[in-house]
Amino acid sequence: MSETRQTTDDAQATTDSELAGGASPGTDQPLEVTSGETRERTREEWVEHEFEGEAKLSVSDLDVYYGDDHALKGVSMEIPENSVTALIGPSGCGKSTFLRCLNRMNDRIKAASIDGSVQLEGEEIYQDGVNLVELRKRVGMVFQSPNPFPKSIADNISYGPRKHGDLDTGLLANLLGRSDDDAVDELVERSLRQAALWDEVQDRLDDNALGLSGGQQQRLCIARALATDPEVLLMDEPASALDPIATSKIEDLVHDLAEEYTVVIVTHNMQQAARISDQTAVFLTGGELVEYGDTDQVFEDPQSQRVEDYISGKFG
Amino acid sequence: MASATDTALVSEDTSETEAVAAGAVGLAAVLFALSLASVFELVTITDPVAGVPMVALLGGLLVVLGFAVVTFGVGSRLGYVATDPRPTAGLVASTAFGLVWFVVGGLVASQSLGFGTAGWVIGALVTGGAAFAVSAFPREDIGSTLPAGGLALFAGIVFLTGVIGPSWVWNLGWEQQASFNAEFTIPVLTAFCSLLVGWAAAKAYGGFGARGRHVGAYVLVYLNAISIIALLFLLVAFTVLKGLPGLFNGFAFGAGAGPEVTLVGLTFSLPVSWPFVMNGVALLNDVNGVLPAIAGTIWLVIGAVLFAVPLGVGAAVFITEYADRGRFTQVVEIATNGLWSTPSIVFGLFGLAFLVPRLGNQKSLLAGMLTLGFMLLPLVVITSRESMLAVPDEYRDASAALGVTKWQTIRSIVLPASLPGIVTGIILGVGRIAGETAPILLTMSGSVAPPGSQTVDVLGGFQFQSAPPFVTNPELMQATSALPYQLYSLITAGVGQSSNIGAIDEFRWATALILLVVVLGFYAVGIATRYYFRSKLQHD
Repeated sequence: MSETRQTTDDAQATTDSELAGGASPGTDQPLEVTSGETRERTREEWVEHEFEGEAKLSVSDLDVYYGDDHALKGVSMEIPENSVTALIGPSGCGKSTFLRCLNRMNDRIKAASIDGSVQLEGEEIYQDGVNLVELRKRVGMVFQSPNPFPKSIADNISYGPRKHGDLDTGLLANLLGRSDDDAVDELVERSLRQAALWDEVQDRLDDNALGLSGGQQQRLCIARALATDPEVLLMDEPASALDPIATSKIEDLVHDLAEEYTVVIVTHNMQQAARISDQTAVFLTGGELVEYGDTDQVFEDPQSQRVEDYISGKFG
Repeated sequence: MASATDTALVSEDTSETEAVAAGAVGLAAVLFALSLASVFELVTITDPVAGVPMVALLGGLLVVLGFAVVTFGVGSRLGYVATDPRPTAGLVASTAFGLVWFVVGGLVASQSLGFGTAGWVIGALVTGGAAFAVSAFPREDIGSTLPAGGLALFAGIVFLTGVIGPSWVWNLGWEQQASFNAEFTIPVLTAFCSLLVGWAAAKAYGGFGARGRHVGAYVLVYLNAISIIALLFLLVAFTVLKGLPGLFNGFAFGAGAGPEVTLVGLTFSLPVSWPFVMNGVALLNDVNGVLPAIAGTIWLVIGAVLFAVPLGVGAAVFITEYADRGRFTQVVEIATNGLWSTPSIVFGLFGLAFLVPRLGNQKSLLAGMLTLGFMLLPLVVITSRESMLAVPDEYRDASAALGVTKWQTIRSIVLPASLPGIVTGIILGVGRIAGETAPILLTMSGSVAPPGSQTVDVLGGFQFQSAPPFVTNPELMQATSALPYQLYSLITAGVGQSSNIGAIDEFRWATALILLVVVLGFYAVGIATRYYFRSKLQHD
């Protein structure tokens, strides 16, 4: 990272204003643009995002390698509380990898090695002695394709809390009169309501979840993640496998969830990012975070020429 | 392509020629069924069918079919029938026809004409070469009909003229006095010819070309599948028919017909008396039965399953979920596959040499259970592993993302999702071990014809003591019989030892039938279990 900055400064000194189009709002022209996808140097201030309130997650100098492949290069960003942060960029730019670093799901990939720091409310999650169960309870995740378990709708929702031992519904608990059946019902209803699914499924909570439509399944997965009462919700292209109507339901849902939760959402769909997010981070090929800022600013007035090209559809 | 006609996009109404070809295909199928029926002697070849002796009927039908097919091919070549043939029937068909006619020519030259070695080789080469040339060089309509139809004509004429008649026997002149007789040869040859000619007729029906080849292959595959299913049914039906008389010997139904039993202090008579499954073998029995062997078989299977399934599933969990994919898992995989194909007598010897000395130094039910359990183990590992690998990783990811530990994920997600597959493996394995004779012979063998009093009662056999080992079960440590073993020993024992049993042949067949029923019963239980687990995983 520091190397990059160094060369950026050099470039600044030597480059004339040879780039086409007024991409940079700065006084002097720092960019070194050759053509199209360019060899533009990333500048530090592009990824600085000022916001009010606390940072829920702060990432600094995060590098991820898959074997010899350097998938994420020195990413630093702060994610504000109770907001929607969109991560956009072309395929293979590392945005999903970044997302999976936030609840250490990358630990499940043997070839991945992670270097850097991620702090959840000031606590480092990449250190010895981190309780992964607790971390993933606080940082929930929703995947690209809907993946409900082959169980009933109610069992899908209560799965997490039951396995964490927060709810006890086993035979023994029933016999001892300690069963939390009422609490389970309550949890199922609350989670499904939060995920805007309750009205559609309240009559068939005991049916197999695989009988739901794709959009319903995805909302069920969101409800399942909400049932463990997380603080952060990570979403990996949650609407990419859904039709427009189901997509718009998910988008509304994400918008509502941001009142209580910190939502980080990866998406391929730039319009979607523009519609639902408060701030947007643009990753470009090579695993670099190129620009991060207020969504309106990023989409209307990007500082980077490459980001402008990407957003206006010139590549990506 | 030198096709006489262009292929029409929409074919006309079924033409008369197509109807004739379809009729020929149907006739070939009927002929195939008839010849199969004669192979299994449902009809003997001298029996009259509709007033005509079977052999004449088979021959006549062959001639008709052969003539029809040849006519169709020639008619197509001359342009009377609109078809879409390719320039040649293809190398595979030509080679097959060449080989068939090579054999026919060789047999005629050596057996009928009595030529020596040089003579029959030349004759065979000439006919084989001619058949190859006829099917390879002319257009497809000639190439695929003439050799097939010619063969049917030839075979039909041979049967009709009595060259191979009902009393025909061909002594091979080997040391073992092997010979082919007409009862077997005529139906088999007919079946073969009817398949060939049916294929040619089906090609003709499809108008040759791509569509004709498709229809031809369809008919061949279909007839083949049906004959295999028919064979299976025949096998089961054969056993059932042979076994039923012995099975229901002395069967009575009605109030108080059966023996007295005592349940929970109440003594009453069963409404059914079924001596074959309620009795053992004894001098004073009116009808002897195989109750001890039935009980032995059932307990054997239960014991083996109880032993092998937890171990096998546990091993599969370790291999798929915990162990790193690499050399170790590969070795385990090869080892389990190898174990599953190990002959059962080897397992039996292992049981005899390893288990028996350690379990009271005598053959026992427990030793048999464990031996069969060892046999079942590899299949349980293989199928459990396969079905666990088939559980999508998305489930594991989703569970991990909820902060659920690996073991809980395995228990609540992976195992339930793979249960149907595991049960399928158990079903297959039980089918094998329930019918095993060799391991039982070596590790458990009870008496040849056990009396009813030797019926093993594992549940009632537990005894509790105040001193170690606290629980004992003499029933488990006793030798007992099992159905396949009893069947085997009844067949090899000879008359002397089985003199207590009256109609020994009937008794054996009934034993075989009961074995079939017990195995199918285990299948039914397994399939019901699988259905239950599967229905829990799926929506409607």
